[in-house]
Amino acid sequence: MARYTGRVSEIRLEAGRDMEVRIACPAGAIPSVGQYLLASDADNLDDVLGVPLFAIEKSHHGFWAAPLYPITWTPGTTLDLVGPLGHGFDLPHNLQRLGLVAMGETVSRLMLLIHRTAQTKGGMTLFTDLTLPMLPTALEIYPLASMKEALDWPDFMALDVPLRRMVELRDVLGLSYGTGLPCPAQVLVTTPIPCAGIAQCGACAVPSRRGWKLVCEDGPVFELNSLKW
Amino acid sequence: MTKNDLVFEPPIMNAAGCLGFFPDLHGMTDWGRLGAFITNPVSLTPRTPARGCRFQAYAGGYLLHTGYPNPGFSQVLRRHAGHWSGSPVPVIVHLLGRGTEEIAKMARRLETVEGVSGLEIGVVSDASAEMVAALTQAASGELPVIMQLPMERSVELASAAIQAGAVAVSLAAPRGITQAQEGEFVQGRLYGPAILPLALRKVHELTQLGIPTIGAGGIYTQEHKNAMLTAGALAVQLDGLLWRGAGFSSLL
Repeated sequence: MARYTGRVSEIRLEAGRDMEVRIACPAGAIPSVGQYLLASDADNLDDVLGVPLFAIEKSHHGFWAAPLYPITWTPGTTLDLVGPLGHGFDLPHNLQRLGLVAMGETVSRLMLLIHRTAQTKGGMTLFTDLTLPMLPTALEIYPLASMKEALDWPDFMALDVPLRRMVELRDVLGLSYGTGLPCPAQVLVTTPIPCAGIAQCGACAVPSRRGWKLVCEDGPVFELNSLKW
Repeated sequence: MTKNDLVFEPPIMNAAGCLGFFPDLHGMTDWGRLGAFITNPVSLTPRTPARGCRFQAYAGGYLLHTGYPNPGFSQVLRRHAGHWSGSPVPVIVHLLGRGTEEIAKMARRLETVEGVSGLEIGVVSDASAEMVAALTQAASGELPVIMQLPMERSVELASAAIQAGAVAVSLAAPRGITQAQEGEFVQGRLYGPAILPLALRKVHELTQLGIPTIGAGGIYTQEHKNAMLTAGALAVQLDGLLWRGAGFSSLL
Protein backbone atom coordinates (compact mmCIF):
# COMPACT_ATOMS: atom_id res chain seq x y z
CA MET A 1 0.00 0.00 0.00
CA ALA A 2 1.62 3.24 -1.14
CA ARG A 3 0.67 6.90 -1.08
CA TYR A 4 0.92 9.24 -4.03
CA THR A 5 -0.15 12.73 -4.98
CA GLY A 6 -2.10 13.03 -8.21
CA ARG A 7 -4.17 15.56 -10.09
CA VAL A 8 -7.36 15.67 -12.10
CA SER A 9 -6.00 16.63 -15.50
CA GLU A 10 -9.12 16.33 -17.69
CA ILE A 11 -12.83 15.51 -17.55
CA ARG A 12 -14.70 14.23 -20.60
CA LEU A 13 -18.31 13.47 -21.44
CA GLU A 14 -18.69 11.69 -24.75
CA ALA A 15 -22.02 10.68 -26.25
CA GLY A 16 -23.46 7.62 -24.57
CA ARG A 17 -20.76 7.47 -21.96
CA ASP A 18 -20.48 8.35 -18.31
CA MET A 19 -18.42 11.31 -17.19
CA GLU A 20 -14.83 10.16 -17.11
CA VAL A 21 -11.90 11.72 -15.37
CA ARG A 22 -8.23 11.57 -16.29
CA ILE A 23 -5.89 11.23 -13.34
CA ALA A 24 -2.29 12.37 -13.67
CA CYS A 25 -0.20 10.23 -11.35
CA PRO A 26 2.99 8.20 -11.14
CA ALA A 27 3.01 4.93 -13.07
CA GLY A 28 3.12 2.94 -9.85
CA ALA A 29 -0.27 4.29 -8.80
CA ILE A 30 -2.17 3.07 -11.86
CA PRO A 31 -4.46 0.19 -10.91
CA SER A 32 -4.48 -2.94 -13.03
CA VAL A 33 -7.80 -4.19 -14.35
CA GLY A 34 -10.13 -4.82 -11.40
CA GLN A 35 -7.88 -3.19 -8.83
CA TYR A 36 -8.75 0.22 -7.41
CA LEU A 37 -7.03 3.38 -6.24
CA LEU A 38 -8.40 5.28 -3.26
CA ALA A 39 -8.58 8.99 -4.11
CA SER A 40 -9.42 11.97 -1.90
CA ASP A 41 -9.55 15.66 -2.73
CA ALA A 42 -6.52 16.94 -0.83
CA ASP A 43 -8.03 20.38 -0.25
CA ASN A 44 -11.69 19.59 0.32
CA LEU A 45 -12.54 17.80 3.54
CA ASP A 46 -16.25 18.02 2.69
CA ASP A 47 -15.65 14.81 0.77
CA VAL A 48 -15.42 12.89 4.00
CA LEU A 49 -14.20 9.61 2.52
CA GLY A 50 -11.98 8.62 -0.36
CA VAL A 51 -13.39 7.34 -3.66
CA PRO A 52 -12.31 4.04 -5.25
CA LEU A 53 -11.19 4.65 -8.83
CA PHE A 54 -10.96 1.90 -11.45
CA ALA A 55 -8.95 2.33 -14.64
CA ILE A 56 -10.83 2.53 -17.95
CA GLU A 57 -7.72 3.05 -20.04
CA LYS A 58 -4.15 4.00 -19.44
CA SER A 59 -3.02 7.38 -20.72
CA HIS A 60 0.07 9.51 -20.87
CA HIS A 61 1.31 9.94 -17.26
CA GLY A 62 -1.79 8.48 -15.71
CA PHE A 63 -5.12 6.84 -16.52
CA TRP A 64 -8.76 7.48 -17.29
CA ALA A 65 -10.93 6.50 -14.34
CA ALA A 66 -14.35 4.96 -14.12
CA PRO A 67 -17.19 6.73 -12.39
CA LEU A 68 -18.47 7.57 -9.95
CA TYR A 69 -16.31 10.41 -8.70
CA PRO A 70 -17.32 13.55 -6.75
CA ILE A 71 -18.89 16.32 -8.83
CA THR A 72 -16.68 18.81 -6.99
CA TRP A 73 -13.61 17.51 -8.82
CA THR A 74 -12.44 19.80 -11.60
CA PRO A 75 -9.31 19.85 -13.74
CA GLY A 76 -6.51 20.86 -11.42
CA THR A 77 -7.95 19.26 -8.29
CA THR A 78 -5.11 17.80 -6.25
CA LEU A 79 -5.72 14.25 -5.08
CA ASP A 80 -4.29 12.15 -2.28
CA LEU A 81 -3.98 8.65 -3.69
CA VAL A 82 -3.55 5.31 -1.94
CA GLY A 83 -2.98 2.07 -3.75
CA PRO A 84 -3.30 0.30 -6.05
CA LEU A 85 -5.44 -1.80 -3.75
CA GLY A 86 -7.04 -5.22 -3.82
CA HIS A 87 -6.92 -8.10 -6.27
CA GLY A 88 -7.79 -7.57 -9.92
CA PHE A 89 -8.75 -9.91 -12.77
CA ASP A 90 -6.32 -12.68 -13.65
CA LEU A 91 -7.19 -13.98 -17.10
CA PRO A 92 -5.86 -17.28 -18.45
CA HIS A 93 -3.07 -16.91 -21.03
CA ASN A 94 -4.74 -19.17 -23.58
CA LEU A 95 -8.06 -17.34 -23.47
CA GLN A 96 -10.09 -17.83 -26.68
CA ARG A 97 -13.63 -16.73 -25.82
CA LEU A 98 -14.26 -14.20 -23.05
CA GLY A 99 -17.75 -13.80 -21.66
CA LEU A 100 -18.45 -10.52 -19.86
CA VAL A 101 -21.40 -9.72 -17.60
CA ALA A 102 -22.15 -6.20 -16.35
CA MET A 103 -24.94 -5.94 -13.77
CA GLY A 104 -23.86 -2.68 -12.10
CA GLU A 105 -24.59 0.93 -12.99
CA THR A 106 -21.81 1.07 -15.60
CA VAL A 107 -19.73 -1.12 -17.85
CA SER A 108 -16.70 1.10 -17.26
CA ARG A 109 -14.94 -1.16 -14.77
CA LEU A 110 -14.69 -3.82 -17.50
CA MET A 111 -13.40 -1.44 -20.17
CA LEU A 112 -9.71 -2.10 -19.60
CA LEU A 113 -10.43 -5.80 -19.97
CA ILE A 114 -12.41 -5.17 -23.17
CA HIS A 115 -9.70 -3.04 -24.74
CA ARG A 116 -7.01 -5.53 -23.81
CA THR A 117 -8.90 -8.51 -25.18
CA ALA A 118 -9.81 -6.59 -28.36
CA GLN A 119 -6.09 -6.41 -29.16
CA THR A 120 -5.91 -10.20 -29.26
CA LYS A 121 -7.63 -12.59 -31.67
CA GLY A 122 -9.95 -13.83 -28.95
CA GLY A 123 -13.73 -13.56 -29.20
CA MET A 124 -15.60 -11.44 -26.69
CA THR A 125 -19.27 -11.20 -25.73
CA LEU A 126 -20.84 -8.79 -23.26
CA PHE A 127 -24.17 -9.48 -21.55
CA THR A 128 -25.79 -6.45 -20.02
CA ASP A 129 -28.99 -4.40 -19.89
CA LEU A 130 -27.09 -1.10 -19.65
CA THR A 131 -27.10 1.65 -22.26
CA LEU A 132 -23.66 1.36 -23.71
CA PRO A 133 -20.98 3.72 -25.02
CA MET A 134 -19.09 3.12 -28.26
CA LEU A 135 -17.32 -0.18 -27.84
CA PRO A 136 -14.79 -2.11 -29.94
CA THR A 137 -16.41 -3.82 -32.93
CA ALA A 138 -14.89 -7.12 -31.87
CA LEU A 139 -17.33 -7.14 -28.97
CA GLU A 140 -20.74 -8.75 -29.38
CA ILE A 141 -23.42 -7.47 -27.03
CA TYR A 142 -26.54 -9.24 -25.80
CA PRO A 143 -29.13 -8.61 -23.07
CA LEU A 144 -28.70 -10.34 -19.75
CA ALA A 145 -31.72 -12.54 -20.42
CA SER A 146 -29.84 -14.32 -23.21
CA MET A 147 -26.99 -15.29 -20.94
CA LYS A 148 -28.64 -18.58 -20.05
CA GLU A 149 -28.46 -19.85 -23.63
CA ALA A 150 -24.83 -18.85 -24.05
CA LEU A 151 -23.22 -20.45 -21.04
CA ASP A 152 -21.40 -23.06 -23.14
CA TRP A 153 -19.71 -20.45 -25.34
CA PRO A 154 -17.05 -18.73 -23.18
CA ASP A 155 -13.97 -20.45 -21.86
CA PHE A 156 -13.68 -17.75 -19.19
CA MET A 157 -16.13 -15.28 -17.70
CA ALA A 158 -15.55 -11.90 -16.04
CA LEU A 159 -18.47 -10.37 -14.20
CA ASP A 160 -19.14 -6.98 -12.59
CA VAL A 161 -21.90 -7.39 -10.00
CA PRO A 162 -23.04 -5.12 -7.17
CA LEU A 163 -23.03 -6.94 -3.83
CA ARG A 164 -26.76 -6.38 -3.42
CA ARG A 165 -27.42 -8.13 -6.75
CA MET A 166 -25.32 -11.23 -6.04
CA VAL A 167 -28.51 -12.99 -4.94
CA GLU A 168 -29.90 -12.55 -8.48
CA LEU A 169 -26.88 -14.02 -10.20
CA ARG A 170 -28.03 -17.63 -10.16
CA ASP A 171 -31.29 -16.62 -11.85
CA VAL A 172 -29.48 -14.48 -14.42
CA LEU A 173 -27.21 -17.37 -15.30
CA GLY A 174 -30.08 -19.84 -15.24
CA LEU A 175 -28.33 -22.13 -12.80
CA SER A 176 -30.06 -24.11 -10.10
CA TYR A 177 -28.57 -24.25 -6.62
CA GLY A 178 -25.64 -26.64 -6.47
CA THR A 179 -24.69 -26.29 -10.13
CA GLY A 180 -21.81 -24.14 -11.34
CA LEU A 181 -20.66 -22.51 -14.54
CA PRO A 182 -19.05 -24.74 -17.16
CA CYS A 183 -16.01 -22.45 -17.30
CA PRO A 184 -13.84 -20.60 -14.75
CA ALA A 185 -15.23 -17.20 -13.76
CA GLN A 186 -14.12 -14.18 -11.76
CA VAL A 187 -16.43 -11.52 -10.36
CA LEU A 188 -15.70 -7.90 -9.51
CA VAL A 189 -17.98 -7.23 -6.53
CA THR A 190 -18.97 -3.58 -6.23
CA THR A 191 -20.09 -2.11 -2.93
CA PRO A 192 -19.05 0.86 -0.80
CA ILE A 193 -15.57 0.27 0.62
CA PRO A 194 -15.27 3.09 3.18
CA CYS A 195 -12.10 1.98 4.97
CA ALA A 196 -10.32 0.61 1.88
CA GLY A 197 -8.83 -2.17 3.97
CA ILE A 198 -7.22 0.12 6.52
CA ALA A 199 -9.53 -1.01 9.32
CA GLN A 200 -11.16 -4.26 8.24
CA CYS A 201 -14.33 -2.46 9.27
CA GLY A 202 -16.61 -5.06 7.70
CA ALA A 203 -18.81 -2.69 5.73
CA CYS A 204 -17.91 -4.48 2.49
CA ALA A 205 -18.05 -8.06 3.78
CA VAL A 206 -19.21 -10.73 1.36
CA PRO A 207 -20.08 -14.33 2.27
CA SER A 208 -17.66 -16.91 0.89
CA ARG A 209 -17.30 -20.66 1.15
CA ARG A 210 -14.56 -20.05 3.73
CA GLY A 211 -16.30 -17.52 5.93
CA TRP A 212 -16.64 -13.81 5.30
CA LYS A 213 -14.31 -12.03 2.91
CA LEU A 214 -13.72 -8.30 2.55
CA VAL A 215 -14.18 -6.72 -0.86
CA CYS A 216 -11.63 -4.02 0.04
CA GLU A 217 -8.69 -6.34 0.59
CA ASP A 218 -9.65 -9.90 -0.44
CA GLY A 219 -11.33 -8.56 -3.61
CA PRO A 220 -12.74 -6.64 -5.29
CA VAL A 221 -12.24 -9.47 -7.82
CA PHE A 222 -12.97 -12.98 -6.53
CA GLU A 223 -13.09 -16.43 -8.05
CA LEU A 224 -16.84 -16.74 -8.48
CA ASN A 225 -16.90 -20.23 -7.03
CA SER A 226 -15.12 -19.05 -3.87
CA LEU A 227 -18.19 -16.97 -2.95
CA LYS A 228 -21.60 -18.01 -1.75
CA TRP A 229 -24.07 -16.91 -4.43
CA MET B 1 0.69 5.52 30.09
CA THR B 2 0.28 4.17 33.62
CA LYS B 3 -2.86 3.02 35.33
CA ASN B 4 -3.52 6.19 37.27
CA ASP B 5 -1.65 8.64 35.13
CA LEU B 6 -3.42 8.72 31.80
CA VAL B 7 -1.20 10.75 29.50
CA PHE B 8 -1.19 10.46 25.73
CA GLU B 9 1.68 12.15 23.98
CA PRO B 10 0.74 13.41 21.46
CA PRO B 11 -2.93 13.56 22.52
CA ILE B 12 -4.19 11.83 19.37
CA MET B 13 -5.28 8.25 18.80
CA ASN B 14 -7.60 6.32 16.54
CA ALA B 15 -11.14 5.41 17.52
CA ALA B 16 -11.88 1.72 17.89
CA GLY B 17 -12.74 0.18 14.55
CA CYS B 18 -10.73 2.62 12.45
CA LEU B 19 -7.25 1.10 12.17
CA GLY B 20 -7.70 -2.63 12.56
CA PHE B 21 -6.57 -5.05 15.25
CA PHE B 22 -2.88 -4.13 15.46
CA PRO B 23 -0.58 -1.25 14.55
CA ASP B 24 0.39 -2.17 11.00
CA LEU B 25 3.96 -1.01 10.67
CA HIS B 26 3.81 -1.64 6.91
CA GLY B 27 0.66 0.42 6.49
CA MET B 28 0.16 4.12 5.96
CA THR B 29 -0.01 5.36 9.54
CA ASP B 30 2.78 7.51 10.90
CA TRP B 31 2.82 5.92 14.35
CA GLY B 32 5.12 8.53 15.81
CA ARG B 33 2.24 10.99 15.45
CA LEU B 34 -0.19 8.94 17.53
CA GLY B 35 -0.24 8.75 21.33
CA ALA B 36 -1.95 5.35 21.42
CA PHE B 37 -3.51 2.67 19.25
CA ILE B 38 -6.98 1.30 19.98
CA THR B 39 -7.88 -2.08 18.52
CA ASN B 40 -11.04 -2.89 16.63
CA PRO B 41 -13.78 -4.05 19.01
CA VAL B 42 -13.15 -7.58 20.27
CA SER B 43 -15.86 -9.86 21.67
CA LEU B 44 -15.47 -13.12 23.57
CA THR B 45 -17.08 -15.10 20.75
CA PRO B 46 -16.84 -14.39 17.00
CA ARG B 47 -19.19 -11.81 15.48
CA THR B 48 -20.17 -11.86 11.81
CA PRO B 49 -20.83 -8.74 9.72
CA ALA B 50 -24.30 -7.22 9.91
CA ARG B 51 -26.80 -8.26 7.26
CA GLY B 52 -28.24 -5.83 4.76
CA CYS B 53 -27.10 -2.30 4.05
CA ARG B 54 -24.00 -1.40 6.04
CA PHE B 55 -23.02 2.00 4.64
CA GLN B 56 -24.96 5.12 3.72
CA ALA B 57 -23.42 8.48 2.88
CA TYR B 58 -25.21 11.72 3.71
CA ALA B 59 -24.24 15.38 3.57
CA GLY B 60 -21.38 15.93 5.99
CA GLY B 61 -20.90 12.32 6.96
CA TYR B 62 -21.93 8.72 6.68
CA LEU B 63 -23.65 5.95 8.58
CA LEU B 64 -22.00 2.61 9.30
CA HIS B 65 -23.75 -0.54 10.44
CA THR B 66 -21.10 -3.24 10.43
CA GLY B 67 -21.97 -5.35 13.46
CA TYR B 68 -18.35 -4.97 14.66
CA PRO B 69 -17.26 -8.23 13.03
CA ASN B 70 -14.31 -9.91 14.70
CA PRO B 71 -13.01 -13.47 14.95
CA GLY B 72 -13.49 -13.64 18.71
CA PHE B 73 -11.17 -13.03 21.64
CA SER B 74 -9.05 -16.19 21.38
CA GLN B 75 -8.44 -15.76 17.64
CA VAL B 76 -7.60 -12.08 18.06
CA LEU B 77 -5.01 -12.94 20.68
CA ARG B 78 -3.56 -15.72 18.57
CA ARG B 79 -3.32 -13.59 15.44
CA HIS B 80 -2.44 -10.16 16.80
CA ALA B 81 -1.04 -10.22 20.34
CA GLY B 82 2.46 -10.70 18.98
CA HIS B 83 2.14 -7.40 17.12
CA TRP B 84 0.97 -5.61 20.25
CA SER B 85 4.18 -6.40 22.12
CA GLY B 86 6.21 -4.83 19.31
CA SER B 87 4.01 -1.78 18.94
CA PRO B 88 5.70 1.62 18.71
CA VAL B 89 2.76 3.17 20.62
CA PRO B 90 0.72 2.03 23.66
CA VAL B 91 -1.96 -0.50 22.68
CA ILE B 92 -5.44 -0.25 24.17
CA VAL B 93 -7.70 -3.22 23.54
CA HIS B 94 -11.36 -2.37 22.95
CA LEU B 95 -13.68 -5.00 24.42
CA LEU B 96 -17.31 -5.67 23.65
CA GLY B 97 -19.16 -7.68 26.25
CA ARG B 98 -22.67 -8.94 26.66
CA GLY B 99 -22.22 -8.82 30.43
CA THR B 100 -19.82 -8.51 33.32
CA GLU B 101 -18.64 -12.12 33.18
CA GLU B 102 -17.44 -11.82 29.60
CA ILE B 103 -15.69 -8.51 30.24
CA ALA B 104 -14.02 -9.82 33.41
CA LYS B 105 -12.83 -12.96 31.64
CA MET B 106 -11.25 -11.03 28.78
CA ALA B 107 -9.80 -8.33 31.04
CA ARG B 108 -8.07 -10.82 33.33
CA ARG B 109 -6.55 -12.63 30.38
CA LEU B 110 -5.29 -9.37 28.85
CA GLU B 111 -3.50 -8.47 32.06
CA THR B 112 -1.09 -11.28 31.22
CA VAL B 113 -0.54 -10.26 27.59
CA GLU B 114 2.62 -8.32 26.86
CA GLY B 115 2.15 -4.99 25.13
CA VAL B 116 -1.36 -4.20 26.33
CA SER B 117 -1.40 -0.79 28.02
CA GLY B 118 -5.09 -0.38 28.73
CA LEU B 119 -8.65 -1.38 28.03
CA GLU B 120 -11.51 0.48 26.43
CA ILE B 121 -14.91 -1.01 27.15
CA GLY B 122 -17.77 -0.49 24.70
CA VAL B 123 -21.19 0.07 26.23
CA VAL B 124 -24.49 -0.66 24.50
CA SER B 125 -26.59 2.39 23.71
CA ASP B 126 -29.36 1.55 26.19
CA ALA B 127 -27.12 0.63 29.14
CA SER B 128 -28.16 1.83 32.58
CA ALA B 129 -25.81 3.61 34.97
CA GLU B 130 -25.79 0.45 37.09
CA MET B 131 -24.69 -1.61 34.10
CA VAL B 132 -21.93 0.89 33.29
CA ALA B 133 -20.67 0.70 36.87
CA ALA B 134 -20.80 -3.10 36.85
CA LEU B 135 -18.92 -3.33 33.54
CA THR B 136 -16.30 -0.88 34.81
CA GLN B 137 -15.75 -2.92 37.95
CA ALA B 138 -15.58 -6.13 35.94
CA ALA B 139 -12.89 -4.69 33.69
CA SER B 140 -10.89 -3.03 36.48
CA GLY B 141 -7.76 -4.77 37.62
CA GLU B 142 -4.18 -4.13 36.68
CA LEU B 143 -4.88 -2.16 33.50
CA PRO B 144 -6.37 1.33 33.20
CA VAL B 145 -9.95 1.24 31.96
CA ILE B 146 -11.56 3.75 29.61
CA MET B 147 -15.33 3.44 29.33
CA GLN B 148 -16.64 4.27 25.87
CA LEU B 149 -20.11 5.67 26.46
CA PRO B 150 -22.93 6.33 24.01
CA MET B 151 -22.34 9.96 23.05
CA GLU B 152 -25.97 10.96 23.46
CA ARG B 153 -26.08 9.62 27.06
CA SER B 154 -22.48 10.23 28.08
CA VAL B 155 -23.24 12.95 30.64
CA GLU B 156 -25.86 10.75 32.28
CA LEU B 157 -23.55 7.73 32.52
CA ALA B 158 -20.08 9.19 33.05
CA SER B 159 -20.15 9.58 36.83
CA ALA B 160 -21.08 5.92 37.27
CA ALA B 161 -18.06 4.93 35.19
CA ILE B 162 -15.59 7.15 37.01
CA GLN B 163 -16.88 6.26 40.47
CA ALA B 164 -16.56 2.58 39.60
CA GLY B 165 -12.90 3.01 38.71
CA ALA B 166 -12.60 4.13 35.09
CA VAL B 167 -9.69 6.47 34.47
CA ALA B 168 -11.54 8.27 31.67
CA VAL B 169 -14.52 8.10 29.39
CA SER B 170 -14.54 8.25 25.62
CA LEU B 171 -17.42 8.90 23.26
CA ALA B 172 -18.95 6.32 20.96
CA ALA B 173 -20.27 7.53 17.63
CA PRO B 174 -23.90 8.66 17.96
CA ARG B 175 -26.57 6.50 16.39
CA GLY B 176 -28.96 7.51 13.67
CA ILE B 177 -31.16 6.29 10.85
CA THR B 178 -30.89 6.90 7.13
CA GLN B 179 -32.98 5.65 4.25
CA ALA B 180 -31.24 3.38 1.79
CA GLN B 181 -31.66 3.53 -1.98
CA GLU B 182 -34.11 0.64 -1.86
CA GLY B 183 -36.28 2.54 0.64
CA GLU B 184 -35.39 0.55 3.73
CA PHE B 185 -34.39 2.39 6.89
CA VAL B 186 -30.89 1.64 8.14
CA GLN B 187 -29.76 2.18 11.72
CA GLY B 188 -26.13 2.68 12.56
CA ARG B 189 -23.32 4.80 13.88
CA LEU B 190 -22.80 8.29 12.47
CA TYR B 191 -19.45 9.69 11.43
CA GLY B 192 -18.13 12.76 9.69
CA PRO B 193 -17.65 16.47 10.37
CA ALA B 194 -21.42 16.98 10.69
CA ILE B 195 -21.41 15.47 14.20
CA LEU B 196 -18.55 17.61 15.54
CA PRO B 197 -20.82 20.20 17.23
CA LEU B 198 -22.70 17.45 19.07
CA ALA B 199 -19.45 15.83 20.19
CA LEU B 200 -17.92 19.13 21.23
CA ARG B 201 -20.95 19.93 23.36
CA LYS B 202 -20.66 16.59 25.17
CA VAL B 203 -16.95 17.07 25.80
CA HIS B 204 -17.64 20.53 27.17
CA GLU B 205 -20.36 19.25 29.50
CA LEU B 206 -18.31 16.29 30.70
CA THR B 207 -15.18 18.29 31.43
CA GLN B 208 -17.27 20.89 33.27
CA LEU B 209 -18.27 18.03 35.56
CA GLY B 210 -14.62 17.13 36.07
CA ILE B 211 -14.85 13.90 34.05
CA PRO B 212 -11.59 12.94 32.30
CA THR B 213 -12.77 12.75 28.72
CA ILE B 214 -11.30 11.58 25.45
CA GLY B 215 -13.08 13.54 22.73
CA ALA B 216 -14.27 11.85 19.57
CA GLY B 217 -16.57 12.52 16.67
CA GLY B 218 -16.13 14.49 13.47
CA ILE B 219 -12.54 15.58 13.98
CA TYR B 220 -11.10 16.29 10.54
CA THR B 221 -8.86 19.35 10.93
CA GLN B 222 -6.32 20.94 13.22
CA GLU B 223 -9.03 23.41 14.27
CA HIS B 224 -11.40 20.59 15.21
CA LYS B 225 -8.71 18.91 17.29
CA ASN B 226 -7.76 22.15 18.99
CA ALA B 227 -11.40 22.89 19.79
CA MET B 228 -11.74 19.52 21.52
CA LEU B 229 -8.58 20.03 23.54
CA THR B 230 -9.58 23.60 24.43
CA ALA B 231 -12.94 22.27 25.62
CA GLY B 232 -10.99 20.15 28.07
CA ALA B 233 -10.52 16.79 26.35
CA LEU B 234 -7.36 15.07 27.52
CA ALA B 235 -6.94 13.56 24.05
CA VAL B 236 -8.90 13.03 20.85
CA GLN B 237 -9.86 9.98 18.84
CA LEU B 238 -9.90 10.08 15.04
CA ASP B 239 -12.24 8.04 12.89
CA GLY B 240 -13.12 8.54 9.21
CA LEU B 241 -10.28 10.99 8.66
CA LEU B 242 -7.90 8.04 8.91
CA TRP B 243 -9.59 6.46 5.88
CA ARG B 244 -8.87 9.37 3.57
CA GLY B 245 -5.85 9.15 1.34
CA ALA B 246 -3.74 11.57 3.33
CA GLY B 247 -4.52 10.00 6.70
CA PHE B 248 -4.40 12.55 9.47
CA SER B 249 -1.91 14.91 7.86
CA SER B 250 -4.53 17.69 8.01
CA LEU B 251 -4.13 17.65 11.79
CA LEU B 252 -0.39 18.22 11.76
